[in-house]
Amino acid sequence: MKVKIDKTLAASIALHVLVLGWGLVSFSTKAFEMTPEESVAVDVVSADQLAKVMAGMKTGKKEEPKPLVEKVAEAKPPVEDAVGKITEKPPVETEAAPPPEPKVEEKPVEKKPDPPKPVAEVKPKEEPKPIEKKPDPPKVDPIAEALKKEEKKPPPKPVVQAVKPPEPTKPKERTYDQSKIAALLDKRDPSRQSITGDTLNSNAALGLAKGKAADNSATWGAMFKSQVERCWKKPYGGIEAQQTEAEFAIRLKRDGTLEGMPVPQGSPATPYLRVYQESALRAIIECQPYNLPAAYFDEWKYFAPVFTERKT
Amino acid sequence: MTDQEKLPEMPFGLNRRQMISGIAALGTLSAVPVRSAFAQKRVPIPDGEFAPLPIAIPNFAAGTPADGEVGAGVTQVITNNLKRSGLFAPIDQAAYIEKTINIDAAPQFQNWKTISAQALVTGRMTRQGDGRLKAEFRLWDVNTGQQLTGQQYFTSPEYWRRIAHIISDQIYERLTGEKGYFDTRIVFVDETGPKERRVKRLALMDQDGANVRYLTKGADLVLTPRFSPSTQEITYMEFGQGDPRVYLFNIETGQREIVGNFPGMSFSPRFSPDGQRIIMSLQQGGNSNLFVMDLRSKSTTRLTDTPAIDTSPSYAPDGTRICFESDRGGKPQIYVMAATGGPAQRISFGDGSYSTPVWSPRGDYIAFTKQGGGQFAIGIMKPDGSGERILTAGYHNEGPTFAPNGRVVMFFRDPGGNGGPSLFTVDVSGRNEQRVPTPGFASDPAWSPLLS
Repeated sequence: MKVKIDKTLAASIALHVLVLGWGLVSFSTKAFEMTPEESVAVDVVSADQLAKVMAGMKTGKKEEPKPLVEKVAEAKPPVEDAVGKITEKPPVETEAAPPPEPKVEEKPVEKKPDPPKPVAEVKPKEEPKPIEKKPDPPKVDPIAEALKKEEKKPPPKPVVQAVKPPEPTKPKERTYDQSKIAALLDKRDPSRQSITGDTLNSNAALGLAKGKAADNSATWGAMFKSQVERCWKKPYGGIEAQQTEAEFAIRLKRDGTLEGMPVPQGSPATPYLRVYQESALRAIIECQPYNLPAAYFDEWKYFAPVFTERKT
Repeated sequence: MTDQEKLPEMPFGLNRRQMISGIAALGTLSAVPVRSAFAQKRVPIPDGEFAPLPIAIPNFAAGTPADGEVGAGVTQVITNNLKRSGLFAPIDQAAYIEKTINIDAAPQFQNWKTISAQALVTGRMTRQGDGRLKAEFRLWDVNTGQQLTGQQYFTSPEYWRRIAHIISDQIYERLTGEKGYFDTRIVFVDETGPKERRVKRLALMDQDGANVRYLTKGADLVLTPRFSPSTQEITYMEFGQGDPRVYLFNIETGQREIVGNFPGMSFSPRFSPDGQRIIMSLQQGGNSNLFVMDLRSKSTTRLTDTPAIDTSPSYAPDGTRICFESDRGGKPQIYVMAATGGPAQRISFGDGSYSTPVWSPRGDYIAFTKQGGGQFAIGIMKPDGSGERILTAGYHNEGPTFAPNGRVVMFFRDPGGNGGPSLFTVDVSGRNEQRVPTPGFASDPAWSPLLS
């Protein structure tokens, strides 16, 4: 008996077998091999453990040989505790404080950027503040005095190597009077005088980062941006706002105020661009003075803020 | 109606200190090196948030003792206009250090910096010997001390509100870069009486809700009034004794005429941008098609011929295209076609149905009513159908109309129940929604072009 075979059927079967057969081979399971990654040990460290790890040691080796300097002026010994705001005025002497000891200047000055010791040292408030100069005659204008300081003989150079931490000198004549405790409290904000020297040298914070990188504008630029944005009343621009950009050249003084009027770069092509530029100009003027890190003054004394809507 | 002339730029009184600092500034300017020679750090300030501009508007001074009231009135109208726009934050007069200031002298900018004003408006209203009213104003930039603009106008005293609107437009334009829209009017359907026997009258008012005038008596039902973009005419639909018809109404003369004489119902009329033609729907059996009629020659041209309901046509501002609503694809959707007819392109593809499209006078957006999910939303989309944005949603928003600068959309909202509809504005960002005061219930608003 002859079976009539449909040729197309045969071809179809043959092709299917071929394809499936090929599939069996080419889709065959491959061993799932994974090259073992090198393991990285991960430990959970709590915040205070981290603080302990990062904390400096007073007895450790000095890594920063240069003393902290924030202001170019005649060098004078830095104060011991470099925290708090910089104040232009010398600390006010209260009558509760004992007369300053004249010997303070010879005191070995410790200037390591150490964070405070884990156990807070309780210092009596009346502890004599390290005074850099001899007591001034009363009623001296602090500014005039600062000017005069230039002519005065240079105070002794700061002793670089700290031999040992100074012993807190206990005032002997203290008497305890409960009713006067309130009067003894210093109600001013923590403040200090800026530490002067012949070159700027900041080693105040965060280990050894000294801002020596070529461009720190990410740091102070973000600070400038957040400050100027408080005053910027951006006009509502609808669709055409998307390509708007306004650039200025501005010069700032050390105190963060503008040295002159910001100079717009380019003249506005559309009415909206004009009001956009004007709104930015208003913001720059209104928001001064800008509080930017003094260490980067050389970078931000002259720069170009760019107010932009472009998404790049 | 009003004469206008530019106030001269005020010569600046500089004291010696300012002069010195000015010279110092000049010195630094000339010392600024060429940018390429001394590359400065570019500090980008991107993504600024839009914020309304703080502006101080002390009461306009009185030129004669009798003008104090109108001075305060003008100030009030300007303050209200700018505040409602959402782009300005007028500072409360109680905070002002100086209450009234002399327009002839440069202001003490320190007093206005202290209250954080960035712009300052000073002005004066004076009754002239010939009975006319003189209005003067100056707009100052507080931080730079520059005069941004200054104008004076003469008008008859009863038009003091218009003067206030014109000054508002000047301030708006100078500080936003956009044309203003305050010197405009709204035509709308005023609704009074109980729900079953509502009396609907055609009414006209200033954009801020003042000076309401009634144009019809309320015997017949009126719907869909539309302003001519170029003349003091409106077109609307009225149910008379027979079929509803499209009428033309001149606001100045009170003259009224039927547009064309068609068998069946004619409805949803709108003017062409030049005001010379009216485009509308004509009912033909169960369908309706779009027709355009030339008002001078009275010739009528058919634009669509479909077995569907084509309605709500609206011209693009250049007059070359129209958008309209059609249910040819099943549900009502928005289509765009050439103003001479021809193939139409569907542009709305969202869920639900789209109706009452209206083309912005700027040309950049088409506003619409979108129905779906039990909600009626007002939205905008670009003429190619992209960038759809819902400005407000809820039960029952309808009938958008653009302000002449294309920045603000007015519509009516009917909360249902026993209440009635009222008018609202929302800007095209959807950010600033405001109720428009009307004497009673109100629906179907239409914005006029700028009057001046």
